[in-house]
Amino acid sequence: MHISEGVLNPQVLITGSALAVIGTAIGLKKLDYDRVPQVAILSATFFVASLIHIPLGPGSVHLVLNGLMGLFLGWVAFPVILVGLTLQAILFQFGGLTTLGINTLNMALPAIICYYIFEKSAKNNNFNLSVFTSFLAGAGAVFMSSLAVALSLIFTEESFWPMAKLIVLMHFPVMIIEGLIVAVCVQFLKKVRPEMLDAAYVK
Amino acid sequence: MPLMLNKIRCLEYKLGILGLAVLVSIFILDASPALAHKVNVFAWLDGNTVYTESYFSGNKKVKNGLVEVFDPTGQKLLEGRTDEKGNFSFTLPQKTDLHIVLTASMGHKNDFNLKITQPVEGTAGPAKKEITAIAAPQKPVQADIEQIKAVVEEALDLRLSPIIRSLAEKRKESGPGVTEIIGGIGYIFGIMGLILYFRNRKKD
Repeated sequence: MHISEGVLNPQVLITGSALAVIGTAIGLKKLDYDRVPQVAILSATFFVASLIHIPLGPGSVHLVLNGLMGLFLGWVAFPVILVGLTLQAILFQFGGLTTLGINTLNMALPAIICYYIFEKSAKNNNFNLSVFTSFLAGAGAVFMSSLAVALSLIFTEESFWPMAKLIVLMHFPVMIIEGLIVAVCVQFLKKVRPEMLDAAYVK
Repeated sequence: MPLMLNKIRCLEYKLGILGLAVLVSIFILDASPALAHKVNVFAWLDGNTVYTESYFSGNKKVKNGLVEVFDPTGQKLLEGRTDEKGNFSFTLPQKTDLHIVLTASMGHKNDFNLKITQPVEGTAGPAKKEITAIAAPQKPVQADIEQIKAVVEEALDLRLSPIIRSLAEKRKESGPGVTEIIGGIGYIFGIMGLILYFRNRKKD
């Protein structure tokens, strides 16, 4: 998921950074500052998640957890993912500082799309519906991120479909696992801390 | 009765936190050997052949990755693809430092600078002259020296190659350690502290 330095052309990098800045600004504006600790915990979770390597399937992939971020944070996922990726780039050399913008966009935008599609139904009291939609949110965010990565590489790799197919295929185990993680987290929080399910927004 | 329910709920919550903590610590412990999403390439010279090895962090080999070799001026010398074990080797095209760039799939890229410590002609030059000067214009002696030089070089290559390889192996990074992971989490909570601090000052 992390695109390295020197792979993309400047247009993609600049566009990505600009959109990431806008997204982060919206996220910070919407953030409910009384819930900063909760946001920080999720940020730390995102930061560590990429270290969890999944040995299934054809490639070397890791957890992303952007679906979880999206469902619990909404637009705040932007600053959270930006912070996580910055630290991953500096400390782990995952991705790079110039690709920070495009990487943030690739992971945060699907998170927010999942928030808008699945948020209501995931918090529904109907158990089956809630499990199903939160699973879709977790898996769908990774799926969309895979497509976004393929799309960013379109100018360097030329062919979109084979690339997209490969990335989606490699991330298939990740989608399943993240779907399950999100489904379990939502059910768990619904029982013990239902107020944590609301995105950390100023209402 | 509501008190009872509350207690059960409290217990559930505590259990959940405990479970989460165990999960996270398992992941952190598990993290060190198996990591992903950083690609590395490194190379070493053995005799007249340059060996390159390419792998993702977690020591997963890069299969069919593109390896390009450039000279110091940026001129592309050759390119090739890694095999099933992530290896690619080629004979040294010229005795200058090489810039080796690996492009793996899905936007992963890294490079490696191979310094070629060549037997510099300058050091061999004057010595040769001195000897030839002492030994007068006797051709056989010079030929002997050339031979000796070749033999010594060959022997040195043979002896040094395991050392060179182990040095190259050592340069392999083993991925982020516990220090980096804990450090990163620390940064995040540090940022949280800063935000809360300024937030509270505004309120007062």
